[in-house]
Amino acid sequence: MKVWALVVDTWREALARYTLLGFVIVSSLFMLMLTFALNLDIVDGTLAAGSLFGRAFDLPGGTPIETVVTTGESAFAAMLYGLGIFLAVFATGSQVPNLVHRGTVDLYLSRPVSRPALLLGRFVGAVTLVLANLAFLCGGVFLIISLKTGVWNLRLLAAGGMIALVFCSYLGFMYLIGVLSGSTPLSIMLPYAIYVLAMPLAAHDHIAAVADSRLAAWTVHGLYWLLPKSVELGRDVVQLVMGKGGLSVTALATTLVFGLGCLAAAVAVFQRRSY
Amino acid sequence: MVAATPGVRAWGPSGSENAGPNPPKAAYVVARVGEAVTVISVEEVSKEFRSWRRRVQALAGVSFEVRQGEAFGLLGANGAGKTTLVKILLGLAHPTSGRVTVRGMEPVRARARRRVGYLPEGHRFPGYLSGEAAMRLFGRLAGLDEATIGRRTRELLALVGLSDRGGDRISRYSKGMTQRLGLACALLDEPEVLFLDEPTDGVDPVGRRHIRDVLLDAKAAGTTIFINSHLLSEVERTCDRVAILHQGRLLREAGVDDLTHPSQRFRIRLEERQHAPLELLARFGAVTLDGHIEVAVPDLPTLNHLLDELRSQRLLIAEVTPQRAALEDVFIELVREERGA
Repeated sequence: MKVWALVVDTWREALARYTLLGFVIVSSLFMLMLTFALNLDIVDGTLAAGSLFGRAFDLPGGTPIETVVTTGESAFAAMLYGLGIFLAVFATGSQVPNLVHRGTVDLYLSRPVSRPALLLGRFVGAVTLVLANLAFLCGGVFLIISLKTGVWNLRLLAAGGMIALVFCSYLGFMYLIGVLSGSTPLSIMLPYAIYVLAMPLAAHDHIAAVADSRLAAWTVHGLYWLLPKSVELGRDVVQLVMGKGGLSVTALATTLVFGLGCLAAAVAVFQRRSY
Repeated sequence: MVAATPGVRAWGPSGSENAGPNPPKAAYVVARVGEAVTVISVEEVSKEFRSWRRRVQALAGVSFEVRQGEAFGLLGANGAGKTTLVKILLGLAHPTSGRVTVRGMEPVRARARRRVGYLPEGHRFPGYLSGEAAMRLFGRLAGLDEATIGRRTRELLALVGLSDRGGDRISRYSKGMTQRLGLACALLDEPEVLFLDEPTDGVDPVGRRHIRDVLLDAKAAGTTIFINSHLLSEVERTCDRVAILHQGRLLREAGVDDLTHPSQRFRIRLEERQHAPLELLARFGAVTLDGHIEVAVPDLPTLNHLLDELRSQRLLIAEVTPQRAALEDVFIELVREERGA
C-alpha cells in the first residue's frame, strides 16, 4: 500500500511536470513517422523497393526482408540505448533532490514509513515510469514494423528490457548523488559524465598497456570494472536485435552490480542522515 | 462544521459540541510520573552538527517530559534549537547523545510514528498535488484504508475551510491555505500526539484564531499537543506548560500559570473624568496609562495606603485589577538574565 502510494506519487509528479506527456508525444511522433513515412514493397520475402519520406533506400535488390527488418530495428535500438537513457536520466534526475528538500522530506519522513521503503518506493515508481515509456515506444515500433513486414522479431522487445536494466543501474547512481548532494543538476550531470567516461574505458587494456605506472594501469582497470560498461552494452543491444551471439554477460552483470551498490549506499546514507 | 461520527474525533472551529468521542488509545508502553502518563520523554539530549568547516552545538543536555493530554509549548528565540528538538522527537534527526521516546518508543522506528501528527515549519508540499491528492498520499503513507482517507479528507478539509479548494493544485494556494492544509494533514490519522512547528506562521488573525480553536478541541479530545513557537501570546493561550530553550540549553520548564502568576502590579481605574494628582502618583512610583493608574507595590499595605490617599483626595475608585506577567515578559526576562550571566 505504501509503496503503491509512492509509485502513484511518482507518476503524478511525471504527469504534472509534463515528463510523461513529453515522452508520449515524442514516441507517438516517431511511430507516426514510421507508420506513414516508411513504405516497403516486399515481393516473395525480399525487399523489392522501399522509401522513407519518399526517398528510396539504396539497398541491393533481393535483400531478404528479415535482414532489412533486423538492420532497421538494430539501428533503432542503438538510438534508443543512447537517447533513451539520456532522456530517462533527464526526466528522473530531480526525483530525489525534490524529495530531500527541506520542508518536503519532513512531510514524508514524519509518516510511519521507513526510510528504505520511502526511497525504494520512489525507485520502483521511476522504474515503472521508464519501463512503461520503453514498452510504449519499443512495443509500438515492434508492432508497426511487424505488421508492415510480417517479420516478428521479438528480440527488439528483449533489447528494450536490456535498456531498462542499464537505466536502472544509472538510476541507482542518481539516487546516491541525490541523497548525498540534494542537487538536481549534479544528479543529472554525473550519470552523463560516467556514461561518457566509461566509453574510452572499453579500451582499458590498451590504455593500461601504455600507462606510465602500475598504479595508473590499476586505476584504469579498476574504473573499467567499477563503472557501467556503456560501450559494450550498446554493442550488445545491437547484437541482440540482430540475433548474433557473443553477448557479454559480465558487462551487464557488473553494470547491474554498480547500480545495486549505489542504491544500497543511497539507502544507507538516507537512513543515517539527519534532516 | 463537521458532524462527529461514532468512534471518530471531529473538531469544529468553535466549541466542544463538535468534539466526538475520544477514540480508544492504542496500547503502548509508557513511563509514569506519579499519576500522569508520560507521552514524550527527552533525556539529556544533545545534538551537534558537524561539517568540515565548523561544529554547531544545537542542543546541550536537554531533559523534560510531556504528559498525556497536555499542551506543551517549546519556546525560544531563532536558533535556540527548537526545530532540531522537534525533528529528533519525530525521528527526522538523530541526537548526538541522549535518548528520546514518544509513547515509550524510539521515534526512529517507523511504527513509533503511527498516530503521530506533525506540522513542520516551512513545509513544502509537492506543488503538483491538489489538496485532496496530498491528503490521499499522506493518508496512504500513514497506512489508512481508502474509505477512511476519503472520509477524513472531507472532514478535515471542511474543518480547515478548504472544502471548495481541495481539488486545486497546492502551487495555487496562499501561504495561509498551505498552512491550513498542513494542519489537516497532521490531523489525518487521528493523532494521539500532535507536533506543531510554528503552526500560525503566515496565517492571518482570523486563521490563527481558527487554528487555535482546532488545537484546543484536539486537546479537549485527549490529544497531547507539542507546540514549537516564538509567538508567545499564542502559546500562552493554548499551552498548559512550557519549556524555554536558549542556545540549545533548557532555561526553564514550568506551567504557564506558574510563570505568569499574578505579580505585585495593579491597575486602578478611577471614576470617569477623574484624575489623580501627579505628585501623589510619583510618590508611589505609579504612572497613568490609557486613563488608568498602573503601579507596582512591594506589598498589599502599600497598595491600600495608595488607595487611602486617593480616596482622601475625594477620588472614586471604580476598579482595582491585579496584573499578570505576560509570558513574553517572563521569556524576555529569563533570556536577558541568561545573557547577563
